[in-house]
Amino acid sequence: MSSGEGGNGDDGETESGGSGGSSDADRGRGGDWRDRGRQTLDWLVNASAAQRMAISLAALVFAVIVGGILVFVSGFVATCRQPVLYIPLLGESCYNPAQVYWTMLEGAFGSTANLARTLQETTLLLFTGLSVAVAFRAGLFNVGTQGQMVLGALATGLALVPLGSVLPDSIIGMLVAIPLGLVVGAIVGGFWGFIPGAMKAYADANEVITTIMLNFVATGLAFYLVSEHLGDPGTGSVQTVPVPSVARLPPTIDGSRFSVIALVGALLVAVAIYLLYDRTVLGYELRTSGLQESAAEYSGVDAKRNVVTSMSLSGALGGIAGAVYVMMVHYRWQTGMPALGFDGIAVSVLAGNNPIGVVPAALLFGGLKSGSFAVDFALGVPGELVVVLRGLIILFVAMPEFFRMLGKYYDFGSDPEPVATDGGERR
Amino acid sequence: MDRRTFVASLGVGATVGLAGCVIGDNGDESGEDINVGMVYSSGGLGDESFNDMAHNGVEQAEADFGISYQNAEPDSPADMNDYQREFAGSDEYDLVCCIGFDHVTDLVQNAQEFSDQQFVLVDAVAETEDGDLVENVDNYVFREHEGSFQVGHLAGLLTTMEFDHGGASTASEDPHIGFVGGEETAIIDRFEAGYIAGAEYADEDIEVSTAYAGSWDDPGTGQEIATTMYDNGADIVFHAAGATGGGVFEAAQSAERYAIGVDDDQSISAEGFSDVIVASMVKRVNTAVYESIESVVDDDFEGGSVEDLGLEEDGVEAVVGQDFEGELPEEITDALVESREGIIDGDIDVPEET
Repeated sequence: MSSGEGGNGDDGETESGGSGGSSDADRGRGGDWRDRGRQTLDWLVNASAAQRMAISLAALVFAVIVGGILVFVSGFVATCRQPVLYIPLLGESCYNPAQVYWTMLEGAFGSTANLARTLQETTLLLFTGLSVAVAFRAGLFNVGTQGQMVLGALATGLALVPLGSVLPDSIIGMLVAIPLGLVVGAIVGGFWGFIPGAMKAYADANEVITTIMLNFVATGLAFYLVSEHLGDPGTGSVQTVPVPSVARLPPTIDGSRFSVIALVGALLVAVAIYLLYDRTVLGYELRTSGLQESAAEYSGVDAKRNVVTSMSLSGALGGIAGAVYVMMVHYRWQTGMPALGFDGIAVSVLAGNNPIGVVPAALLFGGLKSGSFAVDFALGVPGELVVVLRGLIILFVAMPEFFRMLGKYYDFGSDPEPVATDGGERR
Repeated sequence: MDRRTFVASLGVGATVGLAGCVIGDNGDESGEDINVGMVYSSGGLGDESFNDMAHNGVEQAEADFGISYQNAEPDSPADMNDYQREFAGSDEYDLVCCIGFDHVTDLVQNAQEFSDQQFVLVDAVAETEDGDLVENVDNYVFREHEGSFQVGHLAGLLTTMEFDHGGASTASEDPHIGFVGGEETAIIDRFEAGYIAGAEYADEDIEVSTAYAGSWDDPGTGQEIATTMYDNGADIVFHAAGATGGGVFEAAQSAERYAIGVDDDQSISAEGFSDVIVASMVKRVNTAVYESIESVVDDDFEGGSVEDLGLEEDGVEAVVGQDFEGELPEEITDALVESREGIIDGDIDVPEET
């Protein structure tokens, strides 16, 4: 939809001088309109952190308003058992937008159980978002986090089952089982990231294509293995035998499958990745290798190996997401895993591929998912409409950041173009 | 797909509204205090088969007993646990209906934890690790292979003769039929096994192509598979693939061949394709839901039991499409009656696995 509207509209609200707002008059003067677009991009690229935050907030408000109108109008078209409001001449509306948003907010943060559901989703999205961000930082687009997660989850699910009879069902057993599950998930997910990495480095195969394809291979392979050879024979579902209780992360809040240990772990990983990429030589080399191979090679870096390393690291994080999913949420592998890997792409883009930025982005996604669960459950609003609301919020919030990245790419703004020698980083 | 579901749910909503006016007043209101939570399977409402059948059951109960209900549609099996717990934990629901076999593992745990909550499970049996039935779960399973045998028998008879009615036709040479499954699970294997056995019962030499779409809600893939089958000479394709089956009907119409629906009488639920849906393997999920609600209304809910429904109990049945009623040759209808009796009497042994 209106990409221009998102960028310009927000701009008009936050900037006083007014380079934004493509009004009808602007459209009449074609060249001027183009200039304004350029100015807007320049401004976006140069925006300070506070300004960017203000843009995001304004975008959120805007998305809520547009979504509210949409819900309200849909309410007149839909038929329901109990209309919520009646307007003379117009008829009855089935949905009350204020109530929808309130339920959403309450569903995300309103009670400890709801908060646990939000944080559960946030934790998983942190891992997948970081997986995508790590690759992005090295100039690689890993669309394969989903597949890496699916196989990581399967490997973890299978590896942990026999532990039930070996380990004591105590803290000590847990200290063995849970790290083991994480390592298995990381290795298998990492291997699934290593393949496209090696193909990219040594055969010049576009990683976007290979990772997309490997997603299908991963899902199909996992389904085949479980349905034909490794599945739980006791059920009609395509799933593995549940993991023993020693391999389950202890729930922090009663009745919810959320463990604060996993969340803290995810936050530590985010900080570690930030430090790795911004403070270490290895991180510098990883960044430069993906951005400009020849320049990296010239300065004595093995760029090919680093591309493989970046993709393996990205895959390992996807695999860990799968491992956490098995040990904290589902306690088994089952076909039809949620699309956390794909959501991770959106989380990473929203965060501007900054490992620390992934934290609030994952929380927003987690809250929206948990909130829409509550709306779907409590109000008669169809799930699809809630998905539209969610999509609108994400679209509006991500659009300014997207245009900023675009502007940066096409050399808008006053900063010099990033080059490999400064690690593609701008200060 | 999402848009389709949305539009379909609008349609359903409209029907509910009408039904409320027409039937509601005459209904028995004894179930007014009864509140039912429905958790569907991941194909979701609007599939015009499995989930919509369950929904029909609860709508009927609403009309007859005045109960109220709440729908929940999980996006993936991972969400089922959340919905089960949300319903059970809220203390506001007298009965929670879990539709589909993907529910079973979580339900076994949740039912034991919420031991005061009454549950119904369709398409699977909730058993503890020791093999005991969970006390507060009423289980409904179907002998799909029996009904599938019937439609396989019908398809086998049709493909070996010249038949021309509705939007399609068959030729007698090269008898060939097809089967499209959703995901390759044990239940769908029963459909396939019964279907093939039925076709072979009609004629040993019939070629049966089978394929799985790998999804319950991917009509595009369903259409691709079915088109290939029709191109290769299949006269009739039977699907057991939920919403994916919509693609099979599309393919049948463009190829001017026949298709067989599943779960609901799809010549009615997917009426746009009634000219090619020669029959449907109806699985009365709606009856299962309705009966379980009725038992709660009458206060004689029985947990820890298994209702095993086949041809004899009218749990499954081969229903001729609405455009084909009375149009099928008598030799076919007679043969179907005969094979039905054979299965009920145990003279015909229908395999459960391919």
